[in-house]
Amino acid sequence: MIRDRLGKELLYFDGGMGTLLQERGLEPGELPETWNITHPDVIRGIHRSYIDAGSDIVLTNTFGANALKFHDGTFSLNEIVTSAVEHVKAAVRDSGTDRKIYTALDMGPTGKLLKPMGDLDFETAYEAFREVAVLGEQAGADLIHIETMSDTYELKAAVLAAKENTSLPVFATTIFDERGKLLTGADVPSVIAMLEGLRVDALGINCGLGPEQMLPLLEQFLRYSSTPVIVKPNAGLPKQKNGQTVYDVSPEDFAAVMEKIVRMGAAVIGGCCGTTPDHIRAMRTRCEGMPVLPVTEKEDTIVSSYGQSVLLGTGSKIIGERINPTGKKRFKQALKEHDLEYILREGISQQDAGAHILDVNVGLPDIDEPALMKEVVQQLQSVTSLPLQIDTVDVTAMEAALRIYNGKAMVNSVSGKQESMDKVFPLIRKYGGVVIGLTLDEDGIPSDAEGRIRIARKIIGEAEKYGIRKKDIVIDALAMTISSEPDGAKVTLETLRRLRDELGVCSVLGVSNISFGLPNRPVVNAAFYTMAMMNGLSAGIINPLSEDMMKAWYAYHALMNLDANCENYIARFAGSTGAPAAGAGSSAGMSAGEGKPSAGAGMSSASREMTLHAAIVKGLKEEAHGVTEKMVQTEVPLDIINQELIPALNQVGDGFEKGTVFLPQLLMSAEAAKSAFAVLKEKMDKSGEVQEKKGSIVLATVKGDIHDIGKNIVKVLLENYSFDVIDLGKDVPPEVIVETVNERKIRLVGLSALMTTTVVSMEETIRLLREKAPRCRVMVGGAVLNQDYADMIGADFYGKDAMQSVHYAQEVFAENAADQEES
Amino acid sequence: MEKRIKEAVRYLGFGKNAADERTLSLIGEAFADLEKEADPRFVCRFFDITHEADGKIRIGTLKISSRSLERNLKGCGKIVLFGATLGPGVDRLITRTSVMDMAKAVIVQACAAAMLEEYCDSRQLEIGEELEREGEYLRPRFSPGYGDFDIHYQEPLMRMLDCAKTIGLTMTDSYMMSPSKSVTAVIGVSRTQERCPVEGCEACSKTDCEYRR
Repeated sequence: MIRDRLGKELLYFDGGMGTLLQERGLEPGELPETWNITHPDVIRGIHRSYIDAGSDIVLTNTFGANALKFHDGTFSLNEIVTSAVEHVKAAVRDSGTDRKIYTALDMGPTGKLLKPMGDLDFETAYEAFREVAVLGEQAGADLIHIETMSDTYELKAAVLAAKENTSLPVFATTIFDERGKLLTGADVPSVIAMLEGLRVDALGINCGLGPEQMLPLLEQFLRYSSTPVIVKPNAGLPKQKNGQTVYDVSPEDFAAVMEKIVRMGAAVIGGCCGTTPDHIRAMRTRCEGMPVLPVTEKEDTIVSSYGQSVLLGTGSKIIGERINPTGKKRFKQALKEHDLEYILREGISQQDAGAHILDVNVGLPDIDEPALMKEVVQQLQSVTSLPLQIDTVDVTAMEAALRIYNGKAMVNSVSGKQESMDKVFPLIRKYGGVVIGLTLDEDGIPSDAEGRIRIARKIIGEAEKYGIRKKDIVIDALAMTISSEPDGAKVTLETLRRLRDELGVCSVLGVSNISFGLPNRPVVNAAFYTMAMMNGLSAGIINPLSEDMMKAWYAYHALMNLDANCENYIARFAGSTGAPAAGAGSSAGMSAGEGKPSAGAGMSSASREMTLHAAIVKGLKEEAHGVTEKMVQTEVPLDIINQELIPALNQVGDGFEKGTVFLPQLLMSAEAAKSAFAVLKEKMDKSGEVQEKKGSIVLATVKGDIHDIGKNIVKVLLENYSFDVIDLGKDVPPEVIVETVNERKIRLVGLSALMTTTVVSMEETIRLLREKAPRCRVMVGGAVLNQDYADMIGADFYGKDAMQSVHYAQEVFAENAADQEES
Repeated sequence: MEKRIKEAVRYLGFGKNAADERTLSLIGEAFADLEKEADPRFVCRFFDITHEADGKIRIGTLKISSRSLERNLKGCGKIVLFGATLGPGVDRLITRTSVMDMAKAVIVQACAAAMLEEYCDSRQLEIGEELEREGEYLRPRFSPGYGDFDIHYQEPLMRMLDCAKTIGLTMTDSYMMSPSKSVTAVIGVSRTQERCPVEGCEACSKTDCEYRR
């Protein structure tokens, strides 16, 4: 079994296939896998020459053999994969070698980008890899080698498919650039964290670079990996010569660097593009008999996303707590109304405020938590590269999220209760993750540090049984409010200290619990936060929009020499006087990302002179917010809407139509109005005053279309004019639109399409609407449309710009109102 | 004013009007954000072409039927296949900005388009300079979807460039490029120097376009 030899002796892969096939007449754009059937002798000959050159592991000619990439009417995937495996076996027989040669099923990327960036579903990608993996195992492959992956998400789908559906060892290598990043942005530690979480047998780098350029990357791999490392470089960087791509590192030069690579610690070596049997022979000759450095366990606690890794244990990390409905009326409402944008804004504003990880909790009674959790995690990963902490007590939701999460997630949480550990640890074992262990068990929360340490030990010990190492456990020392537990803070601090000093494990804390029931909580919270960090808190679950907490965080890191030259501290606070910023808290959410420390003071003096009308016409978002906050103290919200807001919006809209106001300005005004509405809505919710919605409109970017900026522009304007917009998002199947229309008795649908290729699905949607919801009107818009085109596909209205759709909506709902009065 | 700012203003629909100060300042911010998020990459490969008797253009095993491309490649014996992208970070930036502020989002999107054009222009100039030393000249970039050059040709062209692997550029089932701020193009190479090789907009036949330069 190859697993027994891995990391103990040096193993040799083969070299390039594609470049050799091109030399033998493969045309540009031709599918190399078809040669398994059309040119079997060529394929076997190449395998044979690699075996003769000294390869122990030979890759099947199946790099592009998956249902998503391999479209060939003549040959089935089954034929391609089965013959590919057989070719390696035949070459082994022909060679008469007495070395054990392993047939590795080669799986390359699908060539498609996964959602939410592209249009490929995670499960569709999984299915494509599953099909090939199963065929490969049936045909007799000895292992599965997933390679040249440039997207961690696709890589995860491939690894899961291989591990869940076969019993073969799984190797996985990725393609990095010279900056040490995958094409989709991931760095070395994040790739390793994810792959080790999924428990691959070996991991590493292939393609993209020559052996020399791989050295710094390899250094990083060896620094972080506790798994044997594979290195398969190209024969140098690609060069263009007479219109052909050539690689010009000679076999001898290649072998010389490969020897260095083995000395550094690589356990499996081979070649990729441009390497030939001569390269492999020279490499094997040069490295023969060299010992493999033992693979050591690394103790870093790392969580990752598709684009970055966060290392716990240096300084204290900030886990943003705001994506959580507990005690938040507005958030609960957003969850009930499926207002994902609100949730995304909470995420982005915490990132802008300095969070390193975002906690995600969407649990509410009567909500389909697994479905919502999955959706929110995917949406958040389309707007932020921060790693996420999946926070739920629902194990189904936890698994759903862990499965589709792109990276190695943090998980909140497991406790010392046997039942909890029995449920959660199998998931961590399977998908990877860093899990928070709560120091409570069947007997409740121990009142002393000793008891909590005991539970921490129990959790760590139980995790070990699953092969989950201490580095993937973060212990929550639990903060109990000092208003009812006078020693609460002291016990927590002692626990933190002992977790660090005695157990050597990372720690976490929901910091603000400490002040529950006390006045002026931020004062206590910030002081306790500093004390907790001083006692070893690896990560605080806090509100990063709280100025007091962030001040404590920056000051602590500056004081403890964790912020070189106080750089971060100075960047954050230079120019600030230290005087309390009036009203900063209330508008922090609104101005996130644009917040300048002095904005608070300047704003209030300006807004004293400015009317809401002027603020909207000028498109001043913060001013509009500030003025409205003042106005609601003396005026009725509905009057403000009718006397200031709507006239201002009309003025800007007219200007836009006359060509004196342009799109960015129109939208600045729309955003200003939106910020005023937010204040008015809050006031009306409190007073019970209701503003009549003008009507409900479904908006969607049609199926196949993944660009939604046009639709989003229309949405902002329609909402300004008090329409209730049900935004179905992008790439929306016709059936979903029709279903929503019928379920909610919608009278108007707005569809957007960008390209001629997607107008087809717009037409299909209209056809289905006519059939199943004949009373519903349809307005359309988008780059390729015009009136003729809109008529041709049967739309009721073509909106050449966003204002047109507002007018049409007003018309439709005025008719509706008239109809209703008549009847 | 810098060319890319002018271009962004044009994409925002200002036409011949001057952009206001706030828009200009947001354009400045948008370019700064883009500089952080963009990860521009390109790939190019040379191919010999033949002009077939039936008017089709043949590149390897691929035959293209398009009068506008044929016109564009008249007198060219080879082409550069070109692909470029600003990377997935830009799409995330646009999505993120859309959630927070639509005015800023349309500006980021326009600036990203300008940035992509600028990037392609400068890569093309570099390729052109090298060819000129051999006495060869580039034609303007011509992309699937221009004129009667059918968008469906994008699929084989991207396969010939191996875009997914080389620069992370893929295509959806609806022929949309992903990452969205990306270009694929055919650039003719000939022995005769014609007009300025980086013009784009001016060469288009849609003269009533509101975004025309």
